[in-house]
Amino acid sequence: MKPAPFEYYAPTSVEEALATLQSLGYDGKVLAGGQSLIPAMNFRMARPAALVDLNKVKELFYIKPTSDGGLAIGTMTRDSVVEKDPLVSERFPIVPYVVKHIAHPQIRNRGTFGGAIAHADPAAQIPALSVALQARFLVRKQGGERWVNAEDFFMGPFMTVLEPEEMLAEVVLPPMAKGSGASYQQVSRQKGGYAQAAVISVVVVDENKRCKDVRVVLFSVGETPILSQTARKILVGNVPTAEAIAEVAEKISKDEVDPGTDIHGTAEYRRHLVKVLVRRGLTEAFERAK
Amino acid sequence: MKKVSFALNGIVQHWEVADGETLLASLRREGYFGVKFGGCEKGECGACTVLLDGKPVNSCSLLTVQVEGCHVQTIEGMGEHPDQGWKKTAGLHPIQQALVESGAIQCGYCTPAFALAAKALLEKNPNPSEEEVREAIAGILCRCTGYLKPVQAILKAASILRGEVDEQDWIEDTGVPLPVDWPSGADQSPAPAGDFGSPEKLVLTRRKVFMPRMFITPEVRQKTLSRVGKPELKVDAIKLVQGKPAFAADMEKRGMLIAKVLHSPVAHARIKHIDLSKARALPGVAAVLCYKDIPRVVYSTAGQSDPIPGPLDTFSLDSKVRFVGDRVAFVAAETEEIAEQALNLIEVEYEPLPAILDARDAMKPNAPIIHDEPEYVNFGESNPQRNLAAQIHIDIGDVEKGFEEADRIYEAEYVVPKVQQAHIEPHVVVTYWDEDDRLVIRTSTQVPFHVRRILAPVLGLPVKRIRVIKPRIGGGFGGKQEVLIEDVAAHLTIATGRPVLYEYTREEEFIAARSRHPMRIRMKTGVKMDGTITANEMRVLSDTGAYGCHGLTVTGNTGHKSMALYVGDGPYRKSPNIRFYADVVYTNTPPAGAYRGYGVPQGFWPVERHMERISRDLGLDPIAFRLKNAIREGELHPFSTAWSEGREPRPEIIQTVGLEECVRQGKAVIGWDQKFGNPEWHVVAGKPYLRRGIGVALVMQGTAIPYLDMGGASIKMNDDGSFNLLVGATDLGTGSDTVLAQMAAEVLGVPVDDIIVYSSDTDFTPFDKGAYASSTTYISGAAVVKAAEDVAEKIKKRAARMIKEQHPSVQVSPEDILLEDRKAIAPGGEYVTLAQVALNALHHTDQEQIMGIGSYYSPVSPPPFAAQFAEVTVDVETGQITVDRLVMAVDSGVIVNPVTASGQIEGGMTQALGYAVCEEMVYDQYGRAREKDLVDYHIFRANEMPKLETVFVQTYEPSHPFGVKAVAEIPMDGVAPAVGNAVLDACGADVFENPITPERLWRALKEKQSVADHH
Repeated sequence: MKPAPFEYYAPTSVEEALATLQSLGYDGKVLAGGQSLIPAMNFRMARPAALVDLNKVKELFYIKPTSDGGLAIGTMTRDSVVEKDPLVSERFPIVPYVVKHIAHPQIRNRGTFGGAIAHADPAAQIPALSVALQARFLVRKQGGERWVNAEDFFMGPFMTVLEPEEMLAEVVLPPMAKGSGASYQQVSRQKGGYAQAAVISVVVVDENKRCKDVRVVLFSVGETPILSQTARKILVGNVPTAEAIAEVAEKISKDEVDPGTDIHGTAEYRRHLVKVLVRRGLTEAFERAK
Repeated sequence: MKKVSFALNGIVQHWEVADGETLLASLRREGYFGVKFGGCEKGECGACTVLLDGKPVNSCSLLTVQVEGCHVQTIEGMGEHPDQGWKKTAGLHPIQQALVESGAIQCGYCTPAFALAAKALLEKNPNPSEEEVREAIAGILCRCTGYLKPVQAILKAASILRGEVDEQDWIEDTGVPLPVDWPSGADQSPAPAGDFGSPEKLVLTRRKVFMPRMFITPEVRQKTLSRVGKPELKVDAIKLVQGKPAFAADMEKRGMLIAKVLHSPVAHARIKHIDLSKARALPGVAAVLCYKDIPRVVYSTAGQSDPIPGPLDTFSLDSKVRFVGDRVAFVAAETEEIAEQALNLIEVEYEPLPAILDARDAMKPNAPIIHDEPEYVNFGESNPQRNLAAQIHIDIGDVEKGFEEADRIYEAEYVVPKVQQAHIEPHVVVTYWDEDDRLVIRTSTQVPFHVRRILAPVLGLPVKRIRVIKPRIGGGFGGKQEVLIEDVAAHLTIATGRPVLYEYTREEEFIAARSRHPMRIRMKTGVKMDGTITANEMRVLSDTGAYGCHGLTVTGNTGHKSMALYVGDGPYRKSPNIRFYADVVYTNTPPAGAYRGYGVPQGFWPVERHMERISRDLGLDPIAFRLKNAIREGELHPFSTAWSEGREPRPEIIQTVGLEECVRQGKAVIGWDQKFGNPEWHVVAGKPYLRRGIGVALVMQGTAIPYLDMGGASIKMNDDGSFNLLVGATDLGTGSDTVLAQMAAEVLGVPVDDIIVYSSDTDFTPFDKGAYASSTTYISGAAVVKAAEDVAEKIKKRAARMIKEQHPSVQVSPEDILLEDRKAIAPGGEYVTLAQVALNALHHTDQEQIMGIGSYYSPVSPPPFAAQFAEVTVDVETGQITVDRLVMAVDSGVIVNPVTASGQIEGGMTQALGYAVCEEMVYDQYGRAREKDLVDYHIFRANEMPKLETVFVQTYEPSHPFGVKAVAEIPMDGVAPAVGNAVLDACGADVFENPITPERLWRALKEKQSVADHH
């Protein structure tokens, strides 16, 4: 099929992009990597009246170290750039590992870090990753900006707090604390297939191996990435025993996720996967924590 | 419209495009046909890959306006034929060269994408690991190769580009294609116990070709052949690697309209009212047709010989729809957009009817009747009142007596899914009237001659006024053994007088193309304690979907092949007791049809899972148990006297059975004896939730349909001593043009290069029934040999005369002449060249066109045999299966071309692996397809593949002039049961239904656990 007719804007600066978005209001739609949006338009599942293409806005393509040891990632940074960037692997080794699981090279060569977040696909890796890493998002509009925590950003499937005139401009990843460890676990029919359930676990331990912080984020098992509260309640302040981890896994799978039955698996099976993957993920993350 | 300026293959372009046009659409519109349309338009298949500023991207997911100021590269900018008359060029890019030489090109539809992705990779990383290569091409789906040869090619290109092989050695002064030399010791001796070492890399004179392992029987070794048996380059590889416009849609025609079809949204309904007026009034619409506008002619879409062995139950358009996706109306318009818009303007009122979505409901007493049309023409036992498209009852021996004689009887039910052929080139056809008012149908088909014959009455044209052209085909696998969409374009060309292009989208492939018949199969087997099978019974419920097309023949083969393998031992060997009953029923789901293997994979899943379970229960070695009961050389094919695709059956003795050697070779390669039954091997250190398992399946197929399949060939000699070989046989990417040319070259004593192959065109080439039933190398090959022998005889006669004229003292008779090295040589060494013979014949003396024809049909269908092995790792907590390794040792008789033949095995194993673990088509309660794209319907990618290994056990099949048997379908048969048996070996879970998805295995494991708890 072919996309429905639309106006096409290709601003070359952030200011111009914001001005265009402001003037378009609800008619405007940001085009980032386009790996979800253009197919959706090809099938007329998306019919924006106007596209604001950010691919010519050079100032949105960057990965910068922050002085505290974190990173600032421009919204248009391609997935394949994030995947191969040495600074990213040094400061956040979990990031390239997770990004590699996104589709395949052609998609990652176009798809962008910020685009995936703004798109908010409940089965996508980067939104969950941003929650697990406590990312902060710089949201800009003409004449204003605000910071939103990743945890507060996702409202539902393909829904975020972004207003039509706003644009996600930058993703800031705060530094991994000393004593951190992370793990990514997913199950799909085949390696490159759609994840039936997936979990990103980030833990922090003190020098006595006590758990200082734990962020277990699940996706593909609910409408948004799900940050587990149970894991914190049970594990923080304690040395994580196998029993405690098993208890966390059990509780999360029972109480905190809301998987549906769809073509990729039943709800019952996905709950089971959550239990297994949380246990494996936490075990691996604590083993890696140092 | 917007202006966009960018560099395309280094040349600045200024194009004017619509805002919403994708780069894929723009490039193809401008004639860059090397960029392929995979039908998805969502970046899932990668056929449309281009390089954008040096990086591979999907041009379907990129707007053309976005490439402003960028560099775009397509295959057209990569390399070209080095020798273009007086103009010499730099030639092919080394990557292209390596793809050609490694046998990485089968249908060639995804080849440009592979070449570009490889270029991007090697420019950044000149020394990639295999894993990095696999990752780099993971976005390009290939359904033909199994990725092994493309990966080998890219690694080889990398080594060339690093300068590890002298670049000069690549270009020989004979130009392209390079004649490949081959090792004299390409064959391997019998497998020693243990490993082979590294036999895959054989160093040729200057280049390396990856050869499969070979076991050559003494009968084969005696034959000294110069072209047959050699890894000759594929004759169409050079054009495919350049992305030349070789496929059906790669053409422009002035005024060509785009066709679209309105598909039914409901599973079963009558069309109460249909209003086309709004659609017809839309500017740019040339025609809109519904059932009222065209003649009502009943036919079958199955691409089979006359008479079609199945019911006639289909109309181009009907007043009734029988599945979600069935046809309601056809539209032809100036553009795709207008055609799409017109579809939305068609008003249809449906009178819904109750639908049958589960085959088990089809024959219930009050089931709705799917085919109530008076025109329905029965075949055999078909009975539309009972929703029965076909019925088969075969009793061989005395099955009940056999069961009485058994010590134990094993019964179980197995289920196999509906799966898609998923060729990357969708169904596509172009039709137009030529200057003689004959209708030309340029179509992606496996059966050009059947298309012509079947469509003539449907279109109201005599056969003689239709010409069907088969260009290159981007994969078929049986999906194109169907007269599926040619009629749509043809009706619209008749209605408008204009050329029409109709190209399926990927979604249409899923909702409105054919698939593998899903079946439920009950096995009942009687066995003595020593492992002798006394009786074997299979009862099948086969779901043909809404139309009968291949229902009878596919389902017949389910039993005919899989139930023929185990005849039993001792007295049962002479008089086996076998029963095969099948009901083939209609349901309101998309019709099933032909898919590589043609019913046989459905049979071997139950048979080989059942044999494994029996042998384990009796405490017998699973392989010894199978071999004890398997059919042997010189025995009667038990089904040959019982059934033959709806025709009269005649007895067939099986002459060659390489099964035991296949087992021996396959076991050695996979290391069976070190692994099977060895508890240490079954565990993975540090990962208590992982278990390893190993499994086997023995299989057999057929080679062509006896007394039915016919192929023809003609050969004519040119002035320079080269030959045109014209065949009706239909190369759909398999390499059949190449092996046919090799056989002709063998007989005529010339390099393959001197044989110009053309296939197929109903105006120019002799008849061939088409590419199916594993028949081309055998049937069409024998026809080529006959035609070549005809030509050789004429050459020899003339050569003898010419030699006598030149050497009056020499006595030479034509029979003594040897054709070799482009010469006709007398026993004393005197010779004339073939070019001299040709000039003499065409211009000098007693002039004649030296040409020959041959056609062939076979009284037998000699079965190939194979032992297929799988190694798996199972995660017993999640149910996830990783298939680590597949080994296939296959007796396909003499192998004409080891590289193309191993490509068939690797690609077949890969498709079969999808059937084993992840592919299935399922419908919701309204009959709507659940899987409609290649994201939800996952087929294997390059970075997900197990290790694939092939061993050819070459027997010499006496019924063929070069001793060949079939190769293409048999790899589909044993992978799923071998994986199922390996899963059982790994974790004790019995899975009766494939694909073995993680969830299905998890449930089987839970089941096993609850049984264990219960005890």
